[in-house]
Amino acid sequence: MPDMHSLAQAQPQQQSFNPYTENGGTILAIAGADFSVIAGDTRQSEGYNIQTRYAPKVFRLTDKAVLAVNGFAADGNMFVKKVRQRLEWYRHAHAKDMPIRAIARLIQTMLYSRRFFPYYVYNILGGIEEDGTGAVYSFDPVGSYEREACRAAGAAQSLVQPFLDNQIYFKNQTPAPGTSFPRHLPLPTVLSLVIDSFTSATERHIEVGDGLEIYVVLSKNSPSIQGLRDVRGVTELTATEDGERVFVVRRELKKD
Amino acid sequence: MFLTRSEYDRGVNTFSPEGRLFQVEYAIEAIKLGSTTVGIKTPEGVVLGVEKRVQSPLLEASSIEKIMEIDTHLGCAMSGLTADARTMIDHARVTAQNHAFTYDERIKVESVTQAVCDLALRFGESVHDEEAMMSRPFGVALLIAGIDEFGPQLYHTDPSGTFVRYEAKAIGSGSEAAQSELQDKWHKQMTLKEAQILTLRVLKQVMEEKLDQHNVQLAQVTPGKGFEILDEALLQAVIEEM
Repeated sequence: MPDMHSLAQAQPQQQSFNPYTENGGTILAIAGADFSVIAGDTRQSEGYNIQTRYAPKVFRLTDKAVLAVNGFAADGNMFVKKVRQRLEWYRHAHAKDMPIRAIARLIQTMLYSRRFFPYYVYNILGGIEEDGTGAVYSFDPVGSYEREACRAAGAAQSLVQPFLDNQIYFKNQTPAPGTSFPRHLPLPTVLSLVIDSFTSATERHIEVGDGLEIYVVLSKNSPSIQGLRDVRGVTELTATEDGERVFVVRRELKKD
Repeated sequence: MFLTRSEYDRGVNTFSPEGRLFQVEYAIEAIKLGSTTVGIKTPEGVVLGVEKRVQSPLLEASSIEKIMEIDTHLGCAMSGLTADARTMIDHARVTAQNHAFTYDERIKVESVTQAVCDLALRFGESVHDEEAMMSRPFGVALLIAGIDEFGPQLYHTDPSGTFVRYEAKAIGSGSEAAQSELQDKWHKQMTLKEAQILTLRVLKQVMEEKLDQHNVQLAQVTPGKGFEILDEALLQAVIEEM
């Protein structure tokens, strides 16, 4: 016999299912005239715990497109896997690599198809457009997207984006009389800004740190290659020099 | 001849001992009964031309539709059982629109041709779990014209699901005479105007009736304006230049 007395006294109980976690970290991308820089830290955390000091958030998709994914790491890894599968199918069906503009639209349709159980991720896609210009596309978790010159996302977005607005878009600055601000910055300047952004974010945000991965995508025969000459520890990921080229630069960040 | 074909031409998906699918071969024969259709590729664009058989003076020639748009950069002309082409062009249009929606770019001419050919051999098989299934091969051949990153292109598809790229191609009842005329007169650096005139001349040679703006139709795909069917006034102007 059930205990009728305790049943009558039972309080309503709420069950909840929390499928998402926030794994910290920050990503950022900046477009130049003929190059694109996409970077992310490598710390993965949950609350006050560091799960790993090396979990890449930036992925090379093709010779001209690199995707950075931030938010819930499990969703992010699955999402990158699915995007890569679609890129391979596209290559088989159409005998070419998907242009970055098409990848951007594909990511939108993939994200929006999960409108009511979204991938909990913020995507930033960087690379080279068909016309050879550097491109950055940023997305929200359900697929709203836009092409921009620069974008930061993730834990330290609120720290980094204002800095980029000031240094890339020259917001709150007035040009000296008779001069104007450049539309695009040279590669060495951009690399310095990226490194400064992450060292500063590491200082002020507990979820940012450990390592930094900076991907650089250069358009065909780009003179910006000069800007990589003096960079310490730069590794080329592409096999040939006669197309777009992808490089990665790794740096340590503070681990506290 | 028909002795060797005993029984094996009944099932649409049954190979004969010599390794042939007779129903598919008969479908290819059906195209040779259709009206003549011509396509010519030039560096300036692709021209499509069809003969419209006006069987009765009471027939409204403008209601015969043998050239259709697939997308703004893709057109298609047909010969054979034109009713069958509706299914194929419908599929091509959906494929082209889906591609534009998903990838924000225009589909390649070869890709849309491949998509159409994927349909061609689905007879005797239900499509996408639907109850209805295609009972026989399509009895129509298509000339698919379009422009993409590789420039102007012309593809020919037949009921066997094979597709081939051509510089100039004629299909339908007058195709043999028309094709050899194309081989004679076609050259690499043709202008669009020259291609329009050659298309009409070739059609004129193989048509039984006297060619005029009512019993032929011309269309073209150009980089600037995409696919367009020439209206009667434009068509008449080309006819006068012939």
